[in-house]
Amino acid sequence: MADESGGIMKLMAEYDRRYVYLILFLVVTIPLLSPIGMPISVSPDTRQYYGILQQVQPGDKVFFTLNTEFSGYNEIQSGIIATMRVLVEKNARICFGVAHVEATSIPELILKAVHDELEAKDYQYGRDYVILGYVMPNEAAVAAMAQDFQGSVTQDWLGRPIAGTFLDEIDDWQDWDLIADFTTGIQTTSLLNHFALRGTPMIVNCIGVMIPSQKPYVDTGVYLAILQSMRGGAELELLIGHPGPGLTAMDAFTFGHYMLILFIIIGNVGYLGYTRNAQRRAG
Amino acid sequence: MAEILKNRQLQLVVMALSFLMVFLPYFLNIPALNTASTKLITITAIVTAFTVALAVIAQFRRGMNIINRRSRGWYFKVYMLVTLVLMLLFSLMGRESGPYHWVMYSVVNPLSSVNYGILAFYMASTCARAFRARNTKAMLLLLSGFIVLLYQAPLTGAFFPGIEPVALYLGDTFGFAAGRMFLISVTVGAIVFGVRVIMGNEPSVLGLGGEE
Amino acid sequence: MTDIIEISVVAVGTFLAMSMFSTLYGKSNPLYVLAEESYIGFATGLTIIWNIDYIWKTGIVNIMGGDWVLIFSLILGAMMLFRVHPKYSYVARLPIAVVLGAQFGLSLRTIIFSGFTQQIQATIRPLFSGPTRTLLYNWTIVICVIFMLTFFFYTVEMEGLLGTSAKFGEYLLYIAFGAVFAQTFMGRLGLFVGFMQSYTIPDWETPYLIGSMLLVLGLVVYMDRAGLLEKLTPEE
Repeated sequence: MADESGGIMKLMAEYDRRYVYLILFLVVTIPLLSPIGMPISVSPDTRQYYGILQQVQPGDKVFFTLNTEFSGYNEIQSGIIATMRVLVEKNARICFGVAHVEATSIPELILKAVHDELEAKDYQYGRDYVILGYVMPNEAAVAAMAQDFQGSVTQDWLGRPIAGTFLDEIDDWQDWDLIADFTTGIQTTSLLNHFALRGTPMIVNCIGVMIPSQKPYVDTGVYLAILQSMRGGAELELLIGHPGPGLTAMDAFTFGHYMLILFIIIGNVGYLGYTRNAQRRAG
Repeated sequence: MAEILKNRQLQLVVMALSFLMVFLPYFLNIPALNTASTKLITITAIVTAFTVALAVIAQFRRGMNIINRRSRGWYFKVYMLVTLVLMLLFSLMGRESGPYHWVMYSVVNPLSSVNYGILAFYMASTCARAFRARNTKAMLLLLSGFIVLLYQAPLTGAFFPGIEPVALYLGDTFGFAAGRMFLISVTVGAIVFGVRVIMGNEPSVLGLGGEE
Repeated sequence: MTDIIEISVVAVGTFLAMSMFSTLYGKSNPLYVLAEESYIGFATGLTIIWNIDYIWKTGIVNIMGGDWVLIFSLILGAMMLFRVHPKYSYVARLPIAVVLGAQFGLSLRTIIFSGFTQQIQATIRPLFSGPTRTLLYNWTIVICVIFMLTFFFYTVEMEGLLGTSAKFGEYLLYIAFGAVFAQTFMGRLGLFVGFMQSYTIPDWETPYLIGSMLLVLGLVVYMDRAGLLEKLTPEE
């Protein structure tokens, strides 16, 4: 009997980590294949973010910056697409800029996701939206755009001149009505320092890892609002009444969290029941 | 010419002038100075873009080294170099469609996703194996972690709404304060380091020391 | 009707993605190396393309438009490339000096405010007036910032009041790390969930995902049992 309980306790303390991998894979995949549709509450930060978006006026010039690799897009795509929906609904004029070479394919995906809304509002390339492409390779590039936009950016991502588009109205940081930044951290600090710190309104949708480091800037008022990771994106989808990838993922999100908690509890039970006693016996 | 380029003092003077040309106009509103400063910043942006070539050259050298030595699996390096060249060729055929587009969506995007997505597995297994309630500090960490993890799972909030204020309190005060504290510390460190480099007290940053 | 291109994108994408995941098996295998080298090769090519594109648009196009000062950027950039030459690497010192000076100027002129003075200013909060919830938050933040900072004083002896303060700060840090770890896990999980979503929506992509997973797992297990993993995997 003592050996049996020692066996179970030992298993709980020293299980193969590949079981964790397998179970994590399953708890994420199965809910995605058969969604349940769990309820979700909306945090004050998301309400604040939504409130800022609601203040966007028709014709406002929005710099839609993608400071993310493609992997980060997977996490924050719900926030990106939901934000884009609101901006199109508000008839904002949108300029896409990216800070990583992998993100050059993301504007196309965003435009595909909101295709119906763009058609309904008769969005025209050049008049209502422009894709600049890879224009933020480093901090100096961001600073140059902030101080002299026309001097540093002359063509869009396919080499077409931006003269004649709505970007003719942009000279420097003062001419943007909003920066909507979607980030894993690449040039967000540069945008903060060279745009937002000077007074350009800026909102941020960041990955989970960045939340503790970005919230102090919301507190100082440099950022107007922050949308937190995939959960924030799902909350925003709920607020705008347009379910999307964020809400669909919440089931998998829930079970992934519960799985981690369960494994930590199992490990601790095993630790208390086996490892600690074994250490005491050995020591 | 070589002696001029090797001169350490000249390098420090150029760096200091470059620094002042960018730093001072921010605080003085002199149009001519602002224009010059902006031009220097644009030049810096372009020169920094050139540094990517250094990484690519290093990558090439490493690959050729492995191929020349015929180390086990050297053909993978040949494959890597071939894919690099192919990508350059594909980009010339157009970036909105065609082979470039295909490679982006079938190779680069999925593999980039996995590159970071795999961290979820490592983090889950590491946390499950390392987080043990060995002492009071560990207990505090586990307790606050559990509360925030439970809140982040949307289902919990639906059945136990009381968890939301507690979790938000932990995240918006303790977590927030730690973030602010690290931000202040890192900023002070960055300022001190920057001043040391400008004053010439960090020769290694400038590539000096070993070469002279 | 899904066309052959779309199917090939999904089939190849899922196979390479699962090959990269095969590292979780615990042993290096050639499928993982194939995926890794594919990513390195194509991504490096991508980086080269877009950086040349940036240099062209921001530098050369503007020079052709009459902005002759930018010629210096091309000269300095070319000099920078000498960094890799064993004999002439000193040529790169000048552009490094220019770039470093400018970069420090850019960051120092702003982080003093955004990362220091504004942060300290924002920490000074009303502690005796306001709603109860706000007061609780304010007191917690002020106490946490002060005591956590004292934990990181390395230049003075930690004894007496300072020692107690640092000890208290340490406990507060552990509570903070618990919250931070949970947010970090949320981020990492979100990355994985987002990736899986891209191959489970729409439904027709799921069989390719499951099929690739089984295929890769089968191949890796077979190679392991046949002793081929060691032979086919490159040296580290």
